Amino acid sequence: MPPHIPRRVLITGVSNPLGAEVARRLAPQVPYLFGCDVADPVSALEEMDFVHADTRLSVIGKLVRQLRIDTVVHLAVLVDSPHDERPIHETDVIGTMNMLVGCSGPSSPVRKLVVKSSQAIYGAAGGDPSFFSEEMINWDRLASGITRDLLEMEQLVSEFALRTDGCDVTVLRLGYRVSEDTSLARYLSLPIVPVFAGFDPRLQFLHEDDAAEVIVRATVGRQPPGAFNVAGDGVVLLSQAIDIMGGRPAPVLPPYWRWFSRLGLKTLARVDLPRHLADFLANGSVMDCSRLEAAFGWKPAHSSRQTMDALALGKTVEVIEPPSPPQEYELQKYLQARRRRALRLSN
Amino acid sequence: MIETTPRERRRNSQKAEIVAPPQGFRLPKPVRRLQRQAPMYAIQGLSSLSTRLRDLTGRDVIDMGRIMEVVQFIYQQRELARRGPNYAVDEFGFDPQWTESFLTIFKALYRDYWRVESTGVENVPAAGRALLVANHAGVLPWDGTMIKTAVFSEHSHPRHVRALVASQFMGMPVMSWFLRRTGQAVGHPDDTRRLLERDELVLVFPEGTRGTGKSFKDRYRLRRFGRGGFVATAIRAQAPIIPISVVGSEEIYPMIGDFGPVARFFGLPYFPVTPFWPWLGPLGMIPLPSKWRIQFHAPVDVSDLPPSAAEDQHIVMSLADEVRDTIQRGIYDNLKLRRGVFL
Repeated sequence: MPPHIPRRVLITGVSNPLGAEVARRLAPQVPYLFGCDVADPVSALEEMDFVHADTRLSVIGKLVRQLRIDTVVHLAVLVDSPHDERPIHETDVIGTMNMLVGCSGPSSPVRKLVVKSSQAIYGAAGGDPSFFSEEMINWDRLASGITRDLLEMEQLVSEFALRTDGCDVTVLRLGYRVSEDTSLARYLSLPIVPVFAGFDPRLQFLHEDDAAEVIVRATVGRQPPGAFNVAGDGVVLLSQAIDIMGGRPAPVLPPYWRWFSRLGLKTLARVDLPRHLADFLANGSVMDCSRLEAAFGWKPAHSSRQTMDALALGKTVEVIEPPSPPQEYELQKYLQARRRRALRLSN
Repeated sequence: MIETTPRERRRNSQKAEIVAPPQGFRLPKPVRRLQRQAPMYAIQGLSSLSTRLRDLTGRDVIDMGRIMEVVQFIYQQRELARRGPNYAVDEFGFDPQWTESFLTIFKALYRDYWRVESTGVENVPAAGRALLVANHAGVLPWDGTMIKTAVFSEHSHPRHVRALVASQFMGMPVMSWFLRRTGQAVGHPDDTRRLLERDELVLVFPEGTRGTGKSFKDRYRLRRFGRGGFVATAIRAQAPIIPISVVGSEEIYPMIGDFGPVARFFGLPYFPVTPFWPWLGPLGMIPLPSKWRIQFHAPVDVSDLPPSAAEDQHIVMSLADEVRDTIQRGIYDNLKLRRGVFL
């Protein structure tokens, strides 16, 4: 089988910041780029066709066949979001299931599938080994929340990969990201950070740039199919991270009864810490990314420490507001229509 | 504009701002200088006093080495407080500077409290990987700290030993934090392999909690050595196995009973009852000052075995038994050499 060169790429969940960045980087590398999401994109790309489509419904199959999509980049997987658990489950499990159903079957033109997953799939328990490699998923664990959803999602994806011969499936387990609008960043930016008493976990972070870069590389690259851990080099201790952010740790959260701590954080500090993040901040989890390096010949440019430093720097830098998004969107849509008309005329 | 003459420069220059001294009471300058230099003067005075006393009495009344250790400890703590977030831990969470700053305390325990005599430290390689295998006793893992102290303070090339800890302790508050920070890892084959591949010294207690939780009447009788997993890991990593016999750790907490229900409630492997614990409260946690001996045996070389031998349960178990016999023999030898439990 000749190596697959992506020509017609569909990105699901393109409206979230990561999706938008991936689209921006993919646009010059592939001839046809399509994006779909429930919400409007923040700023439309001229080279991308945007479709309002909900992965939770079965429209993806029709979309894929109509547009003759050969590569699907599935980013409509919520990991860190302000939603309740129910909509997250709907998006992650049911949405992925619909997407996979749409891509399967003999009539499907899809030859390559890239799925975004998360470090949260490993969970974080006290007795876990110090490093998680790709095959160390604990299927027997009584998981809850995001971890259970991701476990179900990856199970669906691996079943799809087994069933479908002609389609290469790459699963990217992205490390935790700390850009300004994540729960983790909000938590670490508190002036006095309540931490679990008696714990100082090792944390591992992934920079936003590296997250987008690895998805692009997985889409256009020729790495073997399978799951890959993606995270920055090295680890940062929680106390160190808080120190970098200029806060002070306060060991006031009890080491047991996580729900109690989460409730306290929500009411007193206004930080909603999902269950998997509460575990992460007590026990820590570190992934082994050597398989990524071997297969991609590339590793994240930012180490965990540099990612943390970047967040601390961003705290002091004044943010300049981008031009008003709706206007920008309308402008890009107009330019796109104009370009199409010009193409049609020249044909 | 280029200023050429001194006059112009003087005219255009700004007046130096006069910094007002902080308000309130301030000690006179000579006193402040004395305050700053007091620690130095104190050390100088003590050292001259110690020299004179030695001349007078003919023996060390004040041991300057000890005093310098205390001074060093204080300075190290100050350095730690000053470094802020500018330090790096390795991927296992090990912070060497932090660990070394606390070594003074463990050295004092090693030398003065348990009067540890270690033999054969030269069997530990100065560079490269090795798997140290020791007997495990005493309710709390003080034997691990003493082996670490022995290798760091007695070896010609001080090295940090990375011990493997049962996974249940890594989930406990305070314990997990302290153990990780001082370089311990989870007793998982994958962790052992990674540490050995980084050419570290790895310390393993194959008896596990069966060794620490055994009652006083069973002292110095080795338990089962797991299922020989440590041998398989050593063969795969081509690391020599160094058996270690520790004598004295059995007597620090003479365990006469075990409250099973309490242990189950707290999720502990055992809840010890000694003549002092839990009757005396925190005082009961003070270990008894038994006399210790640690013997490092000659390494067992596994480099002539192919990696496939790790799958051969016969080879693995016979090697594990060989290591266990060496340790048991070493324990009997050292018990004979010891004059008494507390002498």
